[in-house]
Amino acid sequence: MTQHRKLGAEALLDLVAEVFKSEIAPALPPEKRYLAAMMGNAIDISRREMALEEEALTFQLLDRFYEDGDGTVAQLARDLRSGAVNDATHPDLRARLKAHLANELKVRNPRFLAARGVKG
Amino acid sequence: MPSPKDVQQSTAREPLGPDSFAALEPWLAHELGAQRVAIVGAALLAGGAVQQNWRLDVEVTGGRRDGHHAWVLRTDAAASLDVSLDRVSEFRCIEVAHKAGVKVAEPIAASDDLDLIGRSFAIQALVAGNAQGRRIVRDPALAEYGDALARELGRELARIHSVRPKAGVLSFLPVPVINPARREVATLRKELDGASEPRPALEYILSWLDTNAPEPRAITLAHGDFRTGNYMVDNGKLTAVLDWEFCHWGDPREDLGWFIARCWRFGGDDKVAGGIGKLASLLEGYNGLSDIKVSASELAYFEVLAAARWAAISLLQGDRFIRGGERSLELALTGLMPPEMEWDALDIIDRLATKGRVT
Repeated sequence: MTQHRKLGAEALLDLVAEVFKSEIAPALPPEKRYLAAMMGNAIDISRREMALEEEALTFQLLDRFYEDGDGTVAQLARDLRSGAVNDATHPDLRARLKAHLANELKVRNPRFLAARGVKG
Repeated sequence: MPSPKDVQQSTAREPLGPDSFAALEPWLAHELGAQRVAIVGAALLAGGAVQQNWRLDVEVTGGRRDGHHAWVLRTDAAASLDVSLDRVSEFRCIEVAHKAGVKVAEPIAASDDLDLIGRSFAIQALVAGNAQGRRIVRDPALAEYGDALARELGRELARIHSVRPKAGVLSFLPVPVINPARREVATLRKELDGASEPRPALEYILSWLDTNAPEPRAITLAHGDFRTGNYMVDNGKLTAVLDWEFCHWGDPREDLGWFIARCWRFGGDDKVAGGIGKLASLLEGYNGLSDIKVSASELAYFEVLAAARWAAISLLQGDRFIRGGERSLELALTGLMPPEMEWDALDIIDRLATKGRVT
């Protein structure tokens, strides 16, 4: 369990996760266990997302395609569909996209990355 | 598109109860050419609150089905995705598959007459077995029967793909006039246009799919959601192929690619054929029966297509919560899954590019 410096949202959510998993979930009837597992997963995702600087990661993705912070994720999606951004204009395109996916997966499902030999 | 059935859906329809089926008795008697039909038992089986499965115990007097039967009545979903078939159309596909020798729960009758039980429904024979993907993949006995099951499923797919478009056969299903893979890309792009979140990686993958689409080997009936989780297994034996609501005319390799996609192995990643067996086993069963011989290498493209399709569907499932107001934790968590499929798709494209087979 992470040690927090202040009593705030992150510390509370950590504590909720701990109590839920150790005391609440095991006491539920079998038909509620799937729901409990989903709740535990949702709390964990929320905890990891709170610790993340999402804007910095988006900037990191877009900065490689657009100068001066001009682009948006929606613009990048459009440019990839139209072909304005492609493997020829950006030879390391797939690696860049995968780096962004890895950042998302560290929050959403770190076990997915671990199963593929990628360090979280 | 698959798997909305995995998620409970909400609606304001009048709920069914054990006494809701009286109107079916004379209707069934007429449908089955029987003197009399009596529903002597009705019990709700596990499933969603709206798209329900009822076990019906039925006494048929006279006609070709004279005797006692255990059947399952499935109601229509209230909020299916646009591309899925309604319950009666799905039933027609199951009838055709049954005639082609595919192992399905025997189709009995279907109707979209709302005067009967207030919603469309289909009735099929009750089949024993388990369809839960995770349980099948984690069965300790899987090592003994997994490859035989994969071969059997390969043969089932070959039987499905033996059905070809011709006059009078499922004429409500459109026959593709452009490359089916490119048609799928266009459909997914259209769906993504209305989604809440832009996905650059998915757009890249769709562009790759569009550029690299192979010509179809044939146009056949395609199940559309043929995967672990959508067939029943009893004591290691296949008892029925389920869930035909995405049935369509398409490239038969779509079904094979969907079956082997990593996202449908339920964690049994080393067993490429649906988390249950070797790809070689699946293809051995398929190629042993089908007039279309498929190689493992040509399926890589269709694995990418499968991953893209599931990524787009997941995103849209999440939108049903975030935009559609459906308060489902399962929908919300499904909506977070696209990066998983995008990652796997990019991995395959990387692998193909390294081999110099595609850009």
